[in-house]
Amino acid sequence: MSKRFRRLRAAIAVSATMAAAMAAAPVTAAPASLPKSIGYVMTDEHWALYETPGAKQECPKGFNLGPREQFKLLFPDPHAKLSVVDSQLARESAVWFPSTTKEPFEFLEAQGPIALGINLDGKVGPNDFTSPQGEHGIDNQLYRVIGCVRNYRREGELGIITTKWRQQEPFNRLIIEITGIDSLENDDDVQVTLYRGIGDIMMNASGSEYLPGGTQRIDRRWGKRYIRTWHGSIKNGLLTTDAVDAWIPEMGAFADNSQLFFHGMRLQLQLTPTKAVGFMGGYADVDVWYYALNTAWATHHQSYGQSSAPSIYRALRRLADAYPDPKTGQNEGISSALEVAFTQAYVDHSEPLRSAGTK
Amino acid sequence: MRLGALCRGLLLPLLVAVSGTAVTMAADAGAAAPREEYEQVPMPAGFKVVVADFEGPVFADERGRTLYDWPTHQLRNGPAGELKGKPHCDDTHYTKTAGLMSPYPPGLLLPETDKRPTCAALWPPVIAPEGASPIGKWTVVQRADGRRQWAYDGFALYTSALDHEEGDVNGGTKRKTHGDSPADREPVAPPSLLPPQFAIAEQTTGRLLVTSQGASVYALANERPDNLLCDAGCAKEWKPVSAPAFAQAKGAFSVLEREPGIKQWAFRGEPLYTRVGEEREHSLEGSDVPGWHNVYTQRAPPPPADFTVQESPGGLVLADSRGRTVYIYHCGDDALDQLACDYPGASQVYRFAVCGGGDPARCRQTFPYVLATPGVKSASRVWSVLAIDPNTGHLAQPGQADSVNVWAFRQRPVFTCALDSQPGDLRADGWGEFNGYRNGFKAFWLRDDFTDNAG
Repeated sequence: MSKRFRRLRAAIAVSATMAAAMAAAPVTAAPASLPKSIGYVMTDEHWALYETPGAKQECPKGFNLGPREQFKLLFPDPHAKLSVVDSQLARESAVWFPSTTKEPFEFLEAQGPIALGINLDGKVGPNDFTSPQGEHGIDNQLYRVIGCVRNYRREGELGIITTKWRQQEPFNRLIIEITGIDSLENDDDVQVTLYRGIGDIMMNASGSEYLPGGTQRIDRRWGKRYIRTWHGSIKNGLLTTDAVDAWIPEMGAFADNSQLFFHGMRLQLQLTPTKAVGFMGGYADVDVWYYALNTAWATHHQSYGQSSAPSIYRALRRLADAYPDPKTGQNEGISSALEVAFTQAYVDHSEPLRSAGTK
Repeated sequence: MRLGALCRGLLLPLLVAVSGTAVTMAADAGAAAPREEYEQVPMPAGFKVVVADFEGPVFADERGRTLYDWPTHQLRNGPAGELKGKPHCDDTHYTKTAGLMSPYPPGLLLPETDKRPTCAALWPPVIAPEGASPIGKWTVVQRADGRRQWAYDGFALYTSALDHEEGDVNGGTKRKTHGDSPADREPVAPPSLLPPQFAIAEQTTGRLLVTSQGASVYALANERPDNLLCDAGCAKEWKPVSAPAFAQAKGAFSVLEREPGIKQWAFRGEPLYTRVGEEREHSLEGSDVPGWHNVYTQRAPPPPADFTVQESPGGLVLADSRGRTVYIYHCGDDALDQLACDYPGASQVYRFAVCGGGDPARCRQTFPYVLATPGVKSASRVWSVLAIDPNTGHLAQPGQADSVNVWAFRQRPVFTCALDSQPGDLRADGWGEFNGYRNGFKAFWLRDDFTDNAG
């Protein structure tokens, strides 16, 4: 008998028993113990890029050009009478209304057979990668797109700032709760729920380390679109989930409310009682990903990390590898993964509003 | 949900503080909503204070035209605006960008320079007559053309060509501007009539009363100084805003003795509290607790009935009748005089670039105007209907056949975005240059529980 069926049958039995007991006499027994659960709050997130020293392997021709460099190539004569319309606004139009037509810049895709991430489709295809540990079938075409864009690499501004904002700002507080756990080492049937949390992440006194044991309340109101519950299993401490379509909040920088949408999102996290570390992977919706990038990061900010949105869009469309639009046949999803780290936190399910407490 | 329905619908308990804001905005429509009081300060002859619908008290000239200053703002590559005593908004006809922003270089030819007004044409200086002499914070400064100009607190004063009637404050706003916004002009105002423990936070929903530390101030329904309802248990969650032992009533503020020797501030007869444990400044979250509401010195006029309020992932946003999030367009050019390009009289090429790739027709598809339903009225001049030529984005000619009547906030049309597919979506929040602050779109936030977009 599956554990899910056993749970259902037990729930029906408990309900029937409770109904009978309530009819007969006041309930005095203590409530049945809840399923074992553990919660974690996300503390770190980076797009999963396989980076070698000096980027020699994955970016042998260097990094991509950014908005400033492209502008100089397009308009090389500093004495030419350039207009706002033909230069600045033309470039901004290209950001907000991107095209897949050829542009006069070479785009440098990340090279090589190795990448980080998850085998999202359970297959080993010709475009798939092999993980550094030797696992075949890794799906991460987004790595091809942004692996040689400085902004997204570990030293890049986006990686640093987005992670900093994730830690400091409440908009993108992400928590997962795993319920129905018999063992944190091995359990073939657990439920995973994704929420937006409300609360600071607990740190040590110097602010240098996240501490387990904090508490996160659940944002059931504004964050209701982020709530997802789906199935997973734990083997040798590695949580692996089924796929689920999910939005996640992703404030990038300046009071933006950008979000990401993953088709078929999966978690692959190594669990301990205090941490969960691994990947959040899925097929990122191309348009959502692209506009989240640009509403969070203006051309000015992207210039810091040589991130040209119009060039990235072309690569996104070229390398998108799943979820074809039924009408156009164009792939709307691109395989991707985030390297993520969570710290254990208690999930407070209580109603956040308190009574007025008045006479 | 329509604004009026908020008061009657099933979601009333949920949205009461959804809010204090939206509900009260609607409830106040047509009523004589209280206006903010201000300090009586010495003024030269020929000036007065006007209490505007949205901005509260502002200084105005004898014709009722709001006065503005232009303090220095530090932009990406240098400052713009004026220093105290040094006006430079004049008749210079700028034709090139100054390179104050990034990443584009300086020296680019500005669009439609033949139609671009000078700074002084858009911002007429307030000229001081012969014999004008300083009084209070009012002084007289010398312009480069030899004329003398009134100044307040050292900053030269201007009126705005965008203001047409007494109470209009279309040239600028007291709301905070983003660091990457243009160097905006700001309405100049006398101090609010507040005890020093309080301050005003300008929000889209009104002028929110907060403590001097920024904490929101709340009141409990039906509680009066002679009928205190918040008992000792309640006071553990709601901290009375205590008044100093020798505090005196000031304007709408009064002092009550909560317990022997324990004094508490009240505003318009309502005892005041802060919410224990509330960490965010300017929060509206306490209004979610039944019975409690935020306190405003003056509430914003209600949006017309063509609008609704929707829950988004960050809070409440204004939306059209179909629930699509409403966006405000912001624009300022990069010339030294930092003229706005966010109103129909200005060049529309900036907007067309980011809303349609330069194509007005595509722009109308991507960011359609919020059309005004015939017969739907605005209760204030903050919200108005403009007849727009949809092909140019400018005001339509009288009788123009293909003009469209659109809703405007502070004389700027408002828009929705075709990318939003369901109520509460706000995919265009931050669309455009500099996260929507410079040449782009920001959602019309009414409440933001995560950042401060509604402020």
